[in-house]
Amino acid sequence: MRFVSYIARRIIGIFGVLLGVSLITFFISHALPADPAAAALSSHASNEQVAQYRRDLGLDRPVVEQYVTYLGGLLRGDFGRSIRTQRPVIDDLRAFLPATVELSLGALLVAVFLGIPLGVLSSLSRNRLPDHFVRLFSLLGGSVPIFFLGLLLISVFYNQLGWFPAGGRIDTFVTPPPHVTGLFVLDSILAGDMDALKSSLHHLILPSFTLGYYSTAVTARMTRSSMLEVLGQDYVRTARAKGLPQRIVVARHALRNALVPIITVVGILFGSLLSGAVLTETVFSWPGLGGYATTSATGVDFPAVMGVTVIAAMLFPVLSMLVDLLYTRLDPRITTS
Amino acid sequence: MKPNTFVLPSVVMAFLLGACAPAAAPTAVPAVPPTAVAPAKPTAVPNTAANTLVYARAIDDAVTMDPAVAYEFSGVVPVSNAYETLVRYEGTDYANVKPSLATKWEIKDNGDTWGLTFTLRDGAKFASGNPVTADDVVYSFQRVIKLKKSPAFLFTDIGGLKVESFSAVNEKTFGITMPKTASAQAFLAVLTFATGSVVDSKLVKANEKDGDSGTAYLQDKSAGSGPYVIESWTKNVDIRLKANAAYTGNKKPSLNSIIIKHVPENTNQLFMLEKGEADIAGNLSSEQLDSLKGKPGTTQLRADSWTLAYIGMNATVKPLDNVKVRQALRYAVDYDGIVNNLLNGKVSKVQGIIPKGLAGYNDNAPFKQDIEKAKGLLKEAGVENGFSMDMSLPSSAAPGGAQWSDIGAKLQSDFKKIGVTINLKPTLEAELLTAYRAQKLQMMGEDWGPDFADPDANGTPFGNYSAKSLAWRNGWDDKESEKLSKDAALETDPAKRVAKYKVLTEYVMNNGPFIILYQPTEGFGLRDNLKGFAFNPLRVIDFSVMSK
Amino acid sequence: MVSRRNSTPYFLRNPLTVIGLAVLGAFALCALLAPVIAPYDPLADELSKRLRPPSPEFWLGSDSLGRDLFSRLVFGARISLFVGVFVVVTAGVFGSLIGVLAGYAGGLVEEALMRVTDVFFAFPSLILAMAIAAALGRSLLNTMIAIAVVTWPVYARLVRGQVLSLREREYVTAARSLGAPTGRIIFKHLLPNSLGPILVNASLDMGGAILAAAGLSFIGFGAAPPTPEWGVMVSEGRQFLVTHLWLPLYPGIAILLVVAAFNLIGDGLRDTLDPQLRGRR
Repeated sequence: MRFVSYIARRIIGIFGVLLGVSLITFFISHALPADPAAAALSSHASNEQVAQYRRDLGLDRPVVEQYVTYLGGLLRGDFGRSIRTQRPVIDDLRAFLPATVELSLGALLVAVFLGIPLGVLSSLSRNRLPDHFVRLFSLLGGSVPIFFLGLLLISVFYNQLGWFPAGGRIDTFVTPPPHVTGLFVLDSILAGDMDALKSSLHHLILPSFTLGYYSTAVTARMTRSSMLEVLGQDYVRTARAKGLPQRIVVARHALRNALVPIITVVGILFGSLLSGAVLTETVFSWPGLGGYATTSATGVDFPAVMGVTVIAAMLFPVLSMLVDLLYTRLDPRITTS
Repeated sequence: MKPNTFVLPSVVMAFLLGACAPAAAPTAVPAVPPTAVAPAKPTAVPNTAANTLVYARAIDDAVTMDPAVAYEFSGVVPVSNAYETLVRYEGTDYANVKPSLATKWEIKDNGDTWGLTFTLRDGAKFASGNPVTADDVVYSFQRVIKLKKSPAFLFTDIGGLKVESFSAVNEKTFGITMPKTASAQAFLAVLTFATGSVVDSKLVKANEKDGDSGTAYLQDKSAGSGPYVIESWTKNVDIRLKANAAYTGNKKPSLNSIIIKHVPENTNQLFMLEKGEADIAGNLSSEQLDSLKGKPGTTQLRADSWTLAYIGMNATVKPLDNVKVRQALRYAVDYDGIVNNLLNGKVSKVQGIIPKGLAGYNDNAPFKQDIEKAKGLLKEAGVENGFSMDMSLPSSAAPGGAQWSDIGAKLQSDFKKIGVTINLKPTLEAELLTAYRAQKLQMMGEDWGPDFADPDANGTPFGNYSAKSLAWRNGWDDKESEKLSKDAALETDPAKRVAKYKVLTEYVMNNGPFIILYQPTEGFGLRDNLKGFAFNPLRVIDFSVMSK
Repeated sequence: MVSRRNSTPYFLRNPLTVIGLAVLGAFALCALLAPVIAPYDPLADELSKRLRPPSPEFWLGSDSLGRDLFSRLVFGARISLFVGVFVVVTAGVFGSLIGVLAGYAGGLVEEALMRVTDVFFAFPSLILAMAIAAALGRSLLNTMIAIAVVTWPVYARLVRGQVLSLREREYVTAARSLGAPTGRIIFKHLLPNSLGPILVNASLDMGGAILAAAGLSFIGFGAAPPTPEWGVMVSEGRQFLVTHLWLPLYPGIAILLVVAAFNLIGDGLRDTLDPQLRGRR
């Protein structure tokens, strides 16, 4: 029962966030000095045409009324229509979200499968060369501008070495797999399409690393300090004293217990990946929400910008709820109270 | 503590695998190169397949592939390849329209209106197999007006047309009734543009949804009779066209498949072109084009453009209301520096409001940087101590391959020499347009390209305050200019018309609120095995004349 | 409470922290003495000398308007450091006040303040900053405001957490029972004792703010050219990546260095202020 009420409270909280986020974005959008109708119709259209377009879109109505209409639609899952393209925003979100999710998952995998081993390596070789190397690697990851990294990686790994493609999700001449989840890698596995799988993985690597480098750095640092703490604990020392091999001590005792704080960090990182995705997608021509948000914000197409914001803002509390739930499974001492 | 037993082991396993799995290969230092993958990719082939064209450019401006709505470059290019218009231009002759879907046409003087009649080509068929009839033309043109989208003004404002202006005389004869306030010749020029496309009314009507006139259906596919059909448009990915098997016109497309690929970073376009992964790179800068010299397999092309890059000066703002101040500013600009250095000499110094290539072009370019003269003019105007002014510029690339911000910085230092302080305000295009439309800018920079191949496409916006276009936005209410531009537009005798435009351009050059900076060229990087590429200054690219 | 007496020596005992301080010091010197150090006016164009490679005349080359890249970088240090300081001070002060108020007041006030904080916390920072920058117009000040708006919730949460744990400590309850006014308790006891974590976070956020500002500039929503902001310089230089590599490269490296310096200092501070960590670094 307590669990149910916990979930209910979290869900109410998520709706609160949704309300707040939509309210703030909506009023920021309407404070814009730019008229989206003027933007949508280019400089050649007449003023009458622009005024007419504003009326057609209902932009001439009071802001509060517009917000109520918008919120009403939102609760029914209707994100309104893009001012620039007149298409339902939800269609665009549906088209662009999977690409961003795939990229973010890719980045997350890089963070986990590169960050945790590096952190473990670092903690086991404390103050020796591998440790210094990992710490330098982490320092760079926490400091390099993501767009700068992307540009450098493309010019080295695409232009100079030719190992990876410059951008996009799949090769121009490879047919994307049939749409199931919208994640090309997963969909190609489901369809058993090896060409599509190879091509989409190949395209995913550089952008994932670019987006994931920061998270990798944080994860590696977190793992290192978490491991160092655990390695100093009695039960680990006992295990070692018993003569258990190093890798068993590390895997079974140390890492397992170091994992809780690591999961927290990874959860938070995942929620924050979207901001980095905006920049990564720009550099890698990745057809995701980030590029959509940028184009839309440039054209002050605010229903579209709001759609992205609302989706992204929802992602965070939902993820943090999931992380909290995962905790309670990992560590029985934490309860949902 | 006893961790949950089913989550952790798998995570640990995954991690241990991860430590040695190649999934973690891409570190900052080249570690284990998956070189085995690269050569197997089609991307490593020196050129794209012989019957396929890959055109890399930014396509995020595309709004739809619907001919009645599309007005952006990335929408207009596919549309003009997938649909036929009644008349069209051939080669570089933009003075005379040629037959396309209409084999002949005539313009009759009906007293207070013009009557235009078009005879449709026998045997013309849409890609669906449906014959092209006069009803299709009526439906298509009415659709443009009813939908009221970006290009609708071409019909309603330039042509003065309404829904009831169109009629099907019989199956193969189509008529337009046009008020005499509009120019029938100019409207024929309009009809060559994508907005004049004829759509397959049977097919579109069958796919209407909730009275949307088929806009949802036509958004990413075509219903036309052109040499290509639009196969798909995946937003921010690519637009794909394939040759129309049922094409009945006289062009002979040699390339089967056209892929317009979204590559927003021009650096990546350059890389792709050099590697043969793209046949055309569409948004290269001057320096990038120059860097192609001597690169094997590539070539570059500078195509004519009718765009003008200009600075607007709001004549309602003191002291810009004084014609001498505006003239002083025109004499302060280092045009040669901008043209030769900033734009590598790849653009033309043009100072009139009508671009080179259109009838009525005035090659007089009297302005060059003359600081003494400019200072003298300021003194005559009583502002010898200078003044300060905001200049709003788009935060994007200027035509011809420079950045507006660079042009702004250059102008800032030019004007400083005559004591005029410029506060540069790079502004989002949307915001700039909004303020510009409301006459709220002081000085600004923009570019303007004519909508159709007629001097009136520039004469009216630049010269006629009542048209509420550029002259109005810069608050330049000048009756003389208004009279000259109307007069020139409606003149039917070609020679007299040119003479009248000479007077108008001369007048606006010295009195108007504009500093025309230059007329750019449109640069393209190309693979050298691509033949027949041409860019039409009306911003159309015809794929059917290209081959490899 | 952390003993501050021997923290300075420990802080400086870490060579990495010293490196961070040295790098930051060099940039700060550049910022302070920019007109002295820079050989050219960062805005003065010289079209006949555009796109020159690095040479004795232009140490790091010249840009597309013939401006000296080194001079622009030096003046850019002023902007980037100012962005970092402005954002962190604004967000830190505002967020801390909200946090301390929430933590101290408790009840409905706390609930309301923290829910508002949640909303801002949930925003995808770059997208909100993009919307704000679009709404307010493109300028450096607006960029900083936008980034501050997405940064403050962290401080609110941090400080509230601190206050919650400090609130019941003896010296606070003692002060309260002696009838000390709320403001006095907040400013005299609660805030100073939360300073450690705020400081650590602030030094790391300086770097974060500089990265965010550069990111916004990169996608066209940040500082406006011709401002010699490093992000703008990378953004404008990226089309020269192949032809004139120095244009995007050096500004990018400048950002990297200054952010790394802040990160090193932040780490050093954390080690110093959190004695538990000392053994582990």
